[in-house]
Amino acid sequence: MDIFHDNPMLTGVRQMLGAFAKQSIRPIAVKHDRDESMPWDLMKMAQGFGMTQTAVVDGRKALTGKDEDGESGNAKKPASQARIGVAGSEELAYGCAGICLAIGGSGLAASPVSRMGNEEQKQEFRKLLKGDDEKGHIKVAAMALSEPSTGSDISGLSTTARPDGDHFVINGHKQWITNGASAAVYVVWANTDPTAGRAGVRGFIVGRGTPGLVPGRKETKLGIRASETAQVHFEDCRVHKDMMLGVGQSSEGLSDTKKMLDSTRPMVGAQAVGIARAAFEYLVERVQGGTMQGTPMANHQRVAFELAEMEMEIQAARALVHKAAWMADHHMDNVRMASIAKAYGAKVAQDVTSRALTLLGEEALESGHPVEKWYRDAKIYDIFEGTGQIQRRIIARSIFGVNPT
Amino acid sequence: MDFALDDEQTLIAQTVRRFVDKDVRAWAADADRAGAAPPRLSAVGGDLGFFLDAVPEASGGLLDGPYSHLRRALRGLELGRGCAGMAAVLETNVEPALAVGRWGSAAAREALFASLAGGGLATTARDARGTLDVTRDGDGLRITGKIGPVPALATASHVLLAARTGDEPVLALVATAGARREAVATSGWRAAAWGSLVLEATAVPASMVLARGAAAADAITEVLTWYKVSLAARATGVATAGMEHARKYADERIQFGKPIGTFESLIRLRDDADTGAAAVRLMALHAAWLADRVVDGPTRAAAHDAASRARVLAGDVVDRATVDAVQILGGYGFVNDYPVEKLMRDARAFAQLLGDERFDRILAVRAQQGA
Repeated sequence: MDIFHDNPMLTGVRQMLGAFAKQSIRPIAVKHDRDESMPWDLMKMAQGFGMTQTAVVDGRKALTGKDEDGESGNAKKPASQARIGVAGSEELAYGCAGICLAIGGSGLAASPVSRMGNEEQKQEFRKLLKGDDEKGHIKVAAMALSEPSTGSDISGLSTTARPDGDHFVINGHKQWITNGASAAVYVVWANTDPTAGRAGVRGFIVGRGTPGLVPGRKETKLGIRASETAQVHFEDCRVHKDMMLGVGQSSEGLSDTKKMLDSTRPMVGAQAVGIARAAFEYLVERVQGGTMQGTPMANHQRVAFELAEMEMEIQAARALVHKAAWMADHHMDNVRMASIAKAYGAKVAQDVTSRALTLLGEEALESGHPVEKWYRDAKIYDIFEGTGQIQRRIIARSIFGVNPT
Repeated sequence: MDFALDDEQTLIAQTVRRFVDKDVRAWAADADRAGAAPPRLSAVGGDLGFFLDAVPEASGGLLDGPYSHLRRALRGLELGRGCAGMAAVLETNVEPALAVGRWGSAAAREALFASLAGGGLATTARDARGTLDVTRDGDGLRITGKIGPVPALATASHVLLAARTGDEPVLALVATAGARREAVATSGWRAAAWGSLVLEATAVPASMVLARGAAAADAITEVLTWYKVSLAARATGVATAGMEHARKYADERIQFGKPIGTFESLIRLRDDADTGAAAVRLMALHAAWLADRVVDGPTRAAAHDAASRARVLAGDVVDRATVDAVQILGGYGFVNDYPVEKLMRDARAFAQLLGDERFDRILAVRAQQGA
């Protein structure tokens, strides 16, 4: 087992993205949190490094048309994409989780295109993302899956795609969509055959400006405020059938989507670890320079043991996300471990930031205090990409074979 | 032992509950967005007896006998259900008014009560970490450093300050006029007019020093007891509000073919929050009952110990309950269309104000051990 091996490539990713997080993300994080604005300039810079438009893990290579396994030349040969993904995700979220998601948000849409799209669709996707928009911003993509009445239970999608000649006509409302208001291209999930249940759910590539595609209201959120979240409406939106993903493949409809979500969970867990580590390091610095009742803070068990507890939790969470990623890289079924890593990472991020706030006291009540911001950012990791309850359901089902209610 | 409320206590709780349900909850979201309480809060709150209930009648207030911390805790339970920020404004005058009434000089009483009777606010701060430089200046004090962030300090005319000069505790009333004041934007309690006060060798005359030495230690213990009881009660209200919203949502939201409130995991989240709130409610009321009966050192220590325990648990319970309320609402909980994300932000101050309560408890035990 080599998950603890000091792989030079992983070390390089950590060093490069860690430096990027400290030098470029941290200085602007509070501003974009306060303004609830996307860091477009930074995103352009990140694009130059190959971090946007595609998933940090596999999207960029996949979108070139080369399959991951094909690139390695042997489907059985271990890859390293997932481990690079978790190492990079931790570093970016260490800088700012909202900016991390702004940088990587397009990858949510790129992933199904790379997995299920044919060459024509990949070219169309790339074309729609090429260049800058009228504001000079890089173009971003959005994956439109969740709906107002469909959060955890994605099998209840109500958006429909009705066949009409060479087109599908999409109707429905999407909610909590990353990049939903600004995207140049959307991958929207809709049911093409309500009688087919989950198997009828398909993804469609829809360009901005397509009649009937209406970007909706941007949400004001508790945290990750540098990442845009918005509603998207589809009102008789006609999309050519060639833009339906999974054609000619043995697609399992919604199940493909769920597999895709499974694959991102280690990275999401790693982002939570990044937030926890940020709060931990901030607190260590404060404790090292501080006194309580005339003695160094670090000499007090009340403080020092709290930090020791945080360190235990962070190390455990990091080990879990790396194990889940290592299993993915070795082509092993990691569904249970990915859920464990995601759920535990979310728990640790919330615990560590909450404890840090209590120890910091009144100084950390101010809006924009880094730990106060990280506390707000941490909460989403127990909600999106499958809530903590959904992760426990997956884990329990893998143990007992049934869905507990 | 009788756990039932008497008629007067019931009337207070019902009156404040009506005020909260009719007005405070309706104002809460706008006040949070604006970072300020609505101007109507002063008038409506004043009509209900807030702001002046701890000011003696002879000085233009409403207090004509012993102050009841039990009644205050009962109203705090309700205020917390409405808005923690507005609750902080409505309750901010109590500690300064009671302290000055008990230990203040004629000059201090006149200065503070005239301000409060004229519609002014006062607030309370504790230099828990000893970061202020407080030195003797004759019989007065000279203070350098920053107080805050503290609720209501952006507008308050006076700060009741608990601090130390070297090894000697002092309790003083500090006028804010002339000192540099900074409004502070906070994440929670945004309606509470938070502020900081920067003191640069600011002189506090002897007439404004309420107590020093052993007398100050006792006085500070009592002030903190009052404040912590009120915080625990208000925190319980915030936790209760979180679960009220979560329960309503969970009963209506259908996932996997049934209301999410019927899933065992969510029943447990709600039940744990309700259990915690029930425990803190009793602890806060018990601490308030003890605070109303302080007559000597042992009763003072018992009241503070009860208040401190209530405040520790309240901080944990309100944090957990509001985080879980957001969890139950899921994606809706994370956006500000629903009130629970505000409650989660509001919850934090209950554990962060006045210093680290758990560390205080360690110090209290050490003192008992003679260490």
